[in-house]
Amino acid sequence: MPDYKSVRVSKGRGGWGGPLTITPTEDKPLIASITGGGIHPVAQRIADLTGGEVIDGFSGSAPFDKLAVAVIDCGGTARVGVYPMKKVKTVDIHATSPAGPLAQFITEELFVSGVKPDDVEQT
Amino acid sequence: MTASGATVVYESEVTQVGGQVEAFLGHGLLIFFGAQSPVELHDMSVLHKATLEDDGPRAGDLLQVGSTELEVLAVGPVVRDNLLNLGHLDLKADGRTEPNLPGDVCVRVGDLPLLRVGDHFRITRPGNSREQHT
Repeated sequence: MPDYKSVRVSKGRGGWGGPLTITPTEDKPLIASITGGGIHPVAQRIADLTGGEVIDGFSGSAPFDKLAVAVIDCGGTARVGVYPMKKVKTVDIHATSPAGPLAQFITEELFVSGVKPDDVEQT
Repeated sequence: MTASGATVVYESEVTQVGGQVEAFLGHGLLIFFGAQSPVELHDMSVLHKATLEDDGPRAGDLLQVGSTELEVLAVGPVVRDNLLNLGHLDLKADGRTEPNLPGDVCVRVGDLPLLRVGDHFRITRPGNSREQHT
């Protein structure tokens, strides 16, 4: 069994929410990059520091119940809301704030935005 | 073609309509994703397959959503990348001329259509719009 570590993810400039502590587990080992265009550097850094398994959500399977965190680059409503709705910790690259029909699910405990690789620190 | 010189810059066909799409329409929101998007997003999305993807929408463009025609009022800065890379678009019937979120495509307040498999989505640029080179 891999030896997982924790990271702290803080909001970036203009961002909202968090900080989140991300710790992969045997049941939830995946760091999902739901960003298109390959693995986002923020997802890669979280995986590198925690020992979690990074996957590209647009080319592999990223079931909600296997995710330690979802890294998204959503500037809209869809991805921003759907992962928090399923109680998956969500890191948005864009500096969004809760809005839209899913805003009720977006809480500081589940969501942090405006995140750059430097905002991810080992704890 | 809706007018002489108008150019179609994006065209797709609906391949699947998620079970939550109608509920989102009630919030003035219609979400598109490409078929390769994570299955976790399919329930809330209209999935579509592009047959032409030259550009994303700009303000002043005409959207044809099934049989409904809508003028684009405002477009956020990440809309083009979302659409061309992921087939993703958030269409909002909020009447705004400045987008609320960077991924928003804003159209007039009013009903948005419930699409069906086989319907078309099309972005048409009027012929008299000034070319913008980016």
